Amino acid sequence: MRTSRARTVALAAGAYLVAIVFLLPYVEMVITAGRTKSELLDANYFPKHFTFSNFTSLWSADGLGGNIWVSLRVAGGATLLALLVAIPAGYYTARHRFRGRTAFLLVVLATQMFQPAAMLVGLQREFVNFNLPSATVSLIIVNAGFNLAFAIWILNAFFSSIPVELEEAAQVDGLSRIGALVRITLPLAAPGIVTALIFTFITAWNEFLVALTLSLGSPPGDRPLTVAIDGYVGQYSTDWGHLFAGGLVATVPVIILFALIERRVVTGLTAGAVK
Amino acid sequence: MATVTFEKAERRYPGAPTAAVRGIDLTIEDGEFMVLVGPSGCGKSTTLRMLAGLEEVTSGRILIGDRDVTNAPPRDRDIAMVFQSYALYPHMSVFENMEYSLKIAKVSKEERERRVKAAAALLGLADYLDRKPKALSGGQRQRVAMGRAIVREPQVFCMDEPLSNLDAKMRVQTRTDIAKLQADLGATTVYVTHDQVEAMTMGDRVAVMNEGELQQVAAPMELYRRPANLFVAGFIGSPQMNLLPATVTGGSVRLGEYALPLTAPALAKLPRDLTVGLRPEAFQVVPDGGLLLDVVVVEHLGSDSYAHGTVTLGDGTAGEGTLGEGTRNLVVRVPSRQEVAKGDRLRVAVDGGDIHLFDTVTGLRLDV
Repeated sequence: MRTSRARTVALAAGAYLVAIVFLLPYVEMVITAGRTKSELLDANYFPKHFTFSNFTSLWSADGLGGNIWVSLRVAGGATLLALLVAIPAGYYTARHRFRGRTAFLLVVLATQMFQPAAMLVGLQREFVNFNLPSATVSLIIVNAGFNLAFAIWILNAFFSSIPVELEEAAQVDGLSRIGALVRITLPLAAPGIVTALIFTFITAWNEFLVALTLSLGSPPGDRPLTVAIDGYVGQYSTDWGHLFAGGLVATVPVIILFALIERRVVTGLTAGAVK
Repeated sequence: MATVTFEKAERRYPGAPTAAVRGIDLTIEDGEFMVLVGPSGCGKSTTLRMLAGLEEVTSGRILIGDRDVTNAPPRDRDIAMVFQSYALYPHMSVFENMEYSLKIAKVSKEERERRVKAAAALLGLADYLDRKPKALSGGQRQRVAMGRAIVREPQVFCMDEPLSNLDAKMRVQTRTDIAKLQADLGATTVYVTHDQVEAMTMGDRVAVMNEGELQQVAAPMELYRRPANLFVAGFIGSPQMNLLPATVTGGSVRLGEYALPLTAPALAKLPRDLTVGLRPEAFQVVPDGGLLLDVVVVEHLGSDSYAHGTVTLGDGTAGEGTLGEGTRNLVVRVPSRQEVAKGDRLRVAVDGGDIHLFDTVTGLRLDV
């Protein structure tokens, strides 16, 4: 009894310690974002005056709103594109045994194994040659591509776990094949679709390296949020206040998304695996 | 309601050496309860799925009434299906599951409610209409699946082993319920099962299938009394019919030394190599003569007992399974008042029971 209590306490203490290590950077971010410029290099950990000026000037002077809009379009577009490809691909590979099916799934998985940094130059050249209209469109395509493998695999697992008889029953009940897919299978695969959606959106929202490379020639207002925030790190000085305030703004949508669907994601990640 | 006609209907899977269903011809009458029965992989489920439109018909035709539905999608066939796994929509309540087809068919809300409630009352589901399928027992789910089929008032009911997920007691109960329901509704029904007891007890007629082919289509007792070939003889009946090699010598059909009590004018026309089919109840225990049965196992069923054992025919043929030369397995029914135990030696002879003769080469029944 005594040992098990001590064990619980020790475990909890360990867990809190780990949590603190992971949360500290966020605390630092909040604190620094609220410091005035004069207090920035003070020895005090907590600022005497908490200011919102870093946040307000993000919008007024720096026009970060435009960058958020670009990031939203990139992440939203990439998510939409990835799901439009991954849903049919995941469904087809789950429902049909065709020659080269396993090979197809493995090739899809292999694309996930390339280090994005290794492909930067290639991607940059490719998009210059394609002469795409804007960095936003290029980033939508690249981010969708990066996340396709995960989306296809998780949706494949989900569709596989939904008995084919349900679709057959729906067809006998009066739906077409597509109707059965849309009205019976897709609602049942919703946890998987939501998982793929959130994962793709967050990855695309946070993506920095490719965004930096492909939006280099764009006007500052047309760059994604991650690139815009990076702009506060200058060659000779760094605008810490705005850097952290921008970072905080960029984190908020991710936290909200996770808070909304955390439980769903957990079922999403496990439900497909074990039936 | 309508008739169902299969005309040389065939299903061949791409790349498969033989067809899964080999050009079957079958007519099911209006309001008839037809059972398709056979071992696993015999093509019975495929045949049903062809009728439902869930399996492509490679060649031949399928008609419901006068309408050729060979290439029609399932929704245009006016059928309802009960699946082995029930296939209830897990995200819908019992009520929603049952009304779904009517909703798709744009039936008015009042009518949907009326039909679902009537079916629920019939099936004893009235108290469960708000529940999700996962909150129901296996038997209740099975009834919801039935209810979903009934509310549609379709021309044909297709049932694919609907009882196989139920426990033994529930199965017997539901078996009668379905048979009664079908009789009340008078709906043409095609029912697939691998269980020959289900087939015999439920069907107006039974179609026995093996390796994608129809072996025999007949009323249950006709199948039992006059099996068309060796396969049907062995498949229908429990315990199964004893099939023993026989020879025609000296004007009689003999099992080893034992001459069967069979007198027929056409005996001379029979081929030399015969297989004799004798049901366990065809035998009687006799004081002398007959066959000598070494009892290995006795099954006591209460009213009767079945003595399983071996007989040595001494005909020089290879033994059955691991048995020695000329030795065969034999099952004999004995009245329970007669004490029989493992290790006993009984003399048994055919007395009054049917003797079935089959051509060993073609497997076909020989009528004498």
